[in-house]
Amino acid sequence: MSVLWILFVCSLVVLPGIALLAFRWAMRQGEFRHLEKTALSIFDDDEPVGQTTDCFPGGQRGKKPAPTRPPNPISRPRLPEA
Amino acid sequence: MNAASPSILAALSPSDNEELAQRRAVLAEIDASCRGPLLFLFSGSIIWLLVGTVFALLASLKLHNPEYLANYSWLTFGRVRPAHLNAVIYGFASEAAIGVTLWLMCRLCRTPLLFGWIINAAGVFWNLGVTIGVVAILAGDSTGIEWLEIPPYATPILFVSYALIAVWGVITFRFRREKHLYVSQWYLLAALFWFPWIYSAAQILLVLDPVRGTVQAAVNWWFAHNVLGLWFTPIGLASIYYFIPKVLGKPVYNYSLSVLGFWSLALFYNWNGMHHLVGGPMPAWLITVSIVASVMMTIPVITVGINHHLTMWGSFRELKTSPVLRFMVFGGMSYTLTSLHGIALALRSVSEVTHFTHSTIAHSHQGMYAFFTMVMFGAIYYIMPRVLQVDWPSARLIRVHFWAVAIGILLYVFPLIVGGTLEGMAMTNPDVPFVDAVKPSVVSLTLPYLKTRSYSGMLIFLGHLAFAISFGWIVLRWAQAGRLARLKTSLARV
Repeated sequence: MSVLWILFVCSLVVLPGIALLAFRWAMRQGEFRHLEKTALSIFDDDEPVGQTTDCFPGGQRGKKPAPTRPPNPISRPRLPEA
Repeated sequence: MNAASPSILAALSPSDNEELAQRRAVLAEIDASCRGPLLFLFSGSIIWLLVGTVFALLASLKLHNPEYLANYSWLTFGRVRPAHLNAVIYGFASEAAIGVTLWLMCRLCRTPLLFGWIINAAGVFWNLGVTIGVVAILAGDSTGIEWLEIPPYATPILFVSYALIAVWGVITFRFRREKHLYVSQWYLLAALFWFPWIYSAAQILLVLDPVRGTVQAAVNWWFAHNVLGLWFTPIGLASIYYFIPKVLGKPVYNYSLSVLGFWSLALFYNWNGMHHLVGGPMPAWLITVSIVASVMMTIPVITVGINHHLTMWGSFRELKTSPVLRFMVFGGMSYTLTSLHGIALALRSVSEVTHFTHSTIAHSHQGMYAFFTMVMFGAIYYIMPRVLQVDWPSARLIRVHFWAVAIGILLYVFPLIVGGTLEGMAMTNPDVPFVDAVKPSVVSLTLPYLKTRSYSGMLIFLGHLAFAISFGWIVLRWAQAGRLARLKTSLARV
């Protein structure tokens, strides 16, 4: 059963340990400081918030969806300066 | 190699490199840079998908029709089933996952694909490794260890190929031009790091220098469960977190929750595998720890579920117009369902009944197919037109694909969960015989469910054919468009 302890340490201690180290790195990098900005980081001027980017072939792409609830207060993502 | 690629040496220490100071790349530029490697990886994965589905159908038919093709040793159940598993897991799913990861990494880092040749070399080695592995399994050379059947002479090829991809991932990450790390990137980076860890640990402990006794089972299930949870799940979730907001043009419902979801998965998931050994000759505390960790998975599952479903809330009409969204939402809903079901299956009282039944198979297909594969289909539908700059040729083929695989997998999973549970209840009941010519037995009870599975498999195969035709057609269209454009420029010159 001594192998079991190697396995136990390898998988159950080292892996979460590395995850904790990565978490500390992220904390220090300030990754958790501007969460809402990060959520917007996938949008830009080419593909802004409020514009759909997919449809069946032959349909109209980039149509604005009909507003079903009050529009998002943040209308445009703020891009980091180039 | 891309003209903008820095040298590998510069890539190792990019800190004082002028590349970093460059603007974020334009999306179209990023998409175009991914074209070659993605075409290669996706073509490979679709071929493996068809091959794997044929093996799956054979295996399924043999379960209720044992004489079918029984006189060919290469096509016996014991070889066809692992051939199916390895073809779809390593051939189809991993290759598609690698392709989608590349594209997402490039887009999220805002950098064009650097060192395309690393990826192409990795792709060639990966396909070579899987081909040798699957042929070896059919020839009777399987290791006999579930999820690791590929014999030891093929695995190093897979590992080298994988290492190339992981190195590429690290380089791309270091050259990122985007300040913020989006949640998808966390998942992708983690998956790139976790897979080699679990794969090499399991290979060493099970194949190269095998441990003895029941510990083998422990290592085996630690690996098999983590392939799902630490390799496929993160890539699937990364895709959903990117594509649903992207397609809707709407940021994710609650970003802080997504961060919580990622870190709780990173901390708890790895402990889950032992719940497959409930009732086995293992230290009880080990299994209990695993069950506790499985129940703790409710935190990441619920946070991810809230985010996916509430981002969709109010936008369901988009499902009518967007094929990508259909696949993604189907995958997201399946993820919530399959995870909650899995948590229930980990409990001792439930496992007692469902263990060693078809219910487990239904559960794994719900995770690997209804969640992961559907998400990969959606991602490929989004990526290909952008990479090739050509639209999908036929909306009808996409609809056929979606409905065939969606109905097919529902018809697969739910009857089989019911059938497996009934099977388990019959097996724990001493009055029901296992096989009997006259009386109802465990075998006769499961037969209708097994037949349903074969029918659903045929439906799924039909969907895959539609997908493969679509894919071949769009590549053809792209080739023709390129030829036309070249013809036009040469005519203009004349």
